[in-house]
Amino acid sequence: DEFRLGLITPPPHIWTKAAEAFGAELAEKSGGAHSVSVFPARQLGNEAEMLQQLQTGALDMAFMTVAEVSNRAPNLGAFYAPYLANDIAHAGRILRSDTAKSMLSPLPGQVGVVGVGYGMAGLRQIVSRGDVSSMADLEGRKLRITPFAPILDFYKAVGAAPTPMPLPSVYDALANGQVDAIDMDAELIWVLKYYEHADTILQSDHMMFPMVGLVSARVWAGLSEQDRAMIGDLMASHVDSTIDSYIEKEAGWLQQIKDTGKTFTKVDASFFGDVIDEWNVAWEQKSESLGDLRTTASETR
Amino acid sequence: MLYQLSRSWAKLELWCSAFLALMITLLILLNVVTRYLGAALFWVDELAIYAMVWMTFFGASAAMHYRTSVSITLLTDAVPPAVKVIIEKLVDLIVFAFAIAVVWFCWRWFSPLELVRAGFDTVAFQGATFNFIYAEPTSTLGLPKYMFWSVMWFFAFGATFHSAVHLLCWPVREAEQ
Amino acid sequence: MTAIVFLATLILSVPVAIVLVIAAVWYIWESGNTVLYDSIALKMFGGLENYGLLAIPLFMLTGELMNEGGMTKRLINAARVFVGGFRGGLAYINLLANMFMAAIIGSATAQIAVMSRAMVPAMEEEGYDKGFAAATTAAGGLLAPVIPPSMMFVIYGVLAQIPIGEMFMAGIIPGLLLASSFALVITAIGWVHQFPKGSWLTRREAASALRDALPALLIPFSIIGGILFGIATPTESAAIASLIAFLVGWLFYGELKPSHLGEMFKRTAANASMIIFMIAAASVFGWVIIYEEVPQKLAGLITAVTSDPFLFLLIVNAALLVVGMVIDGIAAIILITPILLPIAMGSYDISPYQFGVVICLNLALGLLTPPVGIGLYIASAMSNTTPGAILKALWPFLLAVALILVLLSYFPVLSLLLI
Ligand code: NA
Ligand code: NA
Repeated sequence: DEFRLGLITPPPHIWTKAAEAFGAELAEKSGGAHSVSVFPARQLGNEAEMLQQLQTGALDMAFMTVAEVSNRAPNLGAFYAPYLANDIAHAGRILRSDTAKSMLSPLPGQVGVVGVGYGMAGLRQIVSRGDVSSMADLEGRKLRITPFAPILDFYKAVGAAPTPMPLPSVYDALANGQVDAIDMDAELIWVLKYYEHADTILQSDHMMFPMVGLVSARVWAGLSEQDRAMIGDLMASHVDSTIDSYIEKEAGWLQQIKDTGKTFTKVDASFFGDVIDEWNVAWEQKSESLGDLRTTASETR
Repeated sequence: MLYQLSRSWAKLELWCSAFLALMITLLILLNVVTRYLGAALFWVDELAIYAMVWMTFFGASAAMHYRTSVSITLLTDAVPPAVKVIIEKLVDLIVFAFAIAVVWFCWRWFSPLELVRAGFDTVAFQGATFNFIYAEPTSTLGLPKYMFWSVMWFFAFGATFHSAVHLLCWPVREAEQ
Repeated sequence: MTAIVFLATLILSVPVAIVLVIAAVWYIWESGNTVLYDSIALKMFGGLENYGLLAIPLFMLTGELMNEGGMTKRLINAARVFVGGFRGGLAYINLLANMFMAAIIGSATAQIAVMSRAMVPAMEEEGYDKGFAAATTAAGGLLAPVIPPSMMFVIYGVLAQIPIGEMFMAGIIPGLLLASSFALVITAIGWVHQFPKGSWLTRREAASALRDALPALLIPFSIIGGILFGIATPTESAAIASLIAFLVGWLFYGELKPSHLGEMFKRTAANASMIIFMIAAASVFGWVIIYEEVPQKLAGLITAVTSDPFLFLLIVNAALLVVGMVIDGIAAIILITPILLPIAMGSYDISPYQFGVVICLNLALGLLTPPVGIGLYIASAMSNTTPGAILKALWPFLLAVALILVLLSYFPVLSLLLI
């Protein structure tokens, strides 16, 4: 079969490279029976649109942020528990746990997609115009987020004005003050130069940002047992490879950001005071896996 | 008679469209004001976008009645009137076919029969059809998205009605505008 | 076969938006991927879920409010203060007023309509050839889609998925270049035909002209300043401009009647939905051709001819000049961008901003080239001149635009410097 795989990241991004490597290996392992065309840079639409295309079967596969999927399967919101992971390597161990894997099993019925495994991007940091020395400095300020519920709740609890905004508009918005701060990972802060128009970079590491490899449930239903096993395993191993890439590179990006000479502050959970407990209480109602995932997190610490 | 109905309907569509244009303006201004007061409302952008989409599809349906859509009239301007009438009829037919196709696309997408069959239980509906239209959320408004998607039905039926009337009662058309 | 269906329906005068959907549906049917039918209605809706598109109705509204509010004539008077005394003064006034207007209006056709009615009779009265007067005004209208704000840039930015604000920035230098080249054309024609002498306003007249125009000048400043200094997004700046235009026209000039607002919103909604509906159709069309990897296949053919980006742009320019004769402005942008942009970016590494400036200016030029040239016919209707008479005076301006297009194609920096 000729599969189409969509994702939002540009061609040189770690995710896109993993997608291409997956395509190449699938073609090789299947002896040319299967091939994968990769559509990077939201060519087929944004994540919401791609998810809908996965549901109809127009699109076969996607590498997608768990954030987008969690808007339809709130249980996955558990991954965004603030300070669930101590550091990026710990985030990787959580994503590789059986608890995490089991959270993918209801997706076919709930969202119409099969989740084969997790990958990730870096931990979330805060880039701000003006000085930020305490949480009070974020209050009432416009802070760009990716639109999904767990992060919206987090920043509402912080007292900021969370402003959803797609990635292409972020640089401009920060440069000309439409937003005062952004929630972002180290890679993009460095690569897309978001630090240029900021005064303070807060290395808060407050949240992980998992990705998931998806196959359309309709397409999956039409595959033989053998193909499912081969495609599922291969895709899982390639999305999983992004975890290693981020663990390896995260420190380097942070160091490069630090070297720019901007105010660089490392903070931990205590910076956010009661916000974290408040979030956990609210999300215990919304995500039944939150408890298990926290247990897994403390076991893998 | 039919033509009058088509005209009234188009008028109504255009007024809805105009009202939505007003709403867009007010929502964007609201956005500017609240942001400067330090109390940014995060759902305004999304609502303004949906207002624009609704404005567009109402306006596009009305445009089918008024025949104001952008088209290339190079050929129709050059041919003698008798030929022009035939070409216009043919175009009416193509537009009607398009409108019917949109009705059919909406039918497949919303699957109303299956929804009734599932007793309006969207979970059962999803299980039976693999169609997740009724589960899709909006990103900031907290409302299900199908409420906003439903404008496609207004467009589909408006376009079908207007183009069918053009196809049926052509002599009246000249009196218009 | 799809190409034949596409061209046939287009030439039969089927609405452009419907042509795009029919071509997409036909292509899906031919390729056998009928599962895509389930996503067509969704994609039509989804293609419009874009914050940048909100600017389109708002820019149109600003234009409506300006026309009703009596701002145009005051801006023309302000231009008189600066260039009125030169020989051929009124021709330069026309150009400068067009620049002011371009910083407010996002559409070439709207600007040509407004300015032809205001400028051509005045120039004719002072003894200018009517064809030249209309040609100068029509050419000046080409500044509208290049100097921000620009509806074409909004639409291109949406289709290319790039920030609208930066696309606007990309147009500033090319817009100034274009205006300077028109000034040179006017000067050159002035040498050949002796232009009527202009006269400077008295100090008192100048002061009152500037004072009257000041509130109207708030609008371009609020738009360009708002975007430049980051006070507002392009969309927000359009809404603010509408509000200012309304308040100034109503309270300050007293020419705008709030009771007319209903009709104005109706015209705005009708015109905006016409354009935005085409974008909905284009997003279906673009999605299908990307899904079927059409640009990749086409790129193979073109890269076989040349691997040089400048040569590629020249070929594109030549092809679009021909396309622009038959298909105008925004409709052409909507048809062309999904096909050519992936090739320009993917195979030639051309910046999407440079590419956007080049193809938008090129296809705006199409508004003035026969046989289909809405801008030309509007100028002709509004000024009561034949299209032939306008064309006779217009060709030096068209030539100037062509030269600017070559410059913009050769020097990416002209588009990219301010971004
Ligand atoms: Na403009
Ligand atoms: Na033309």
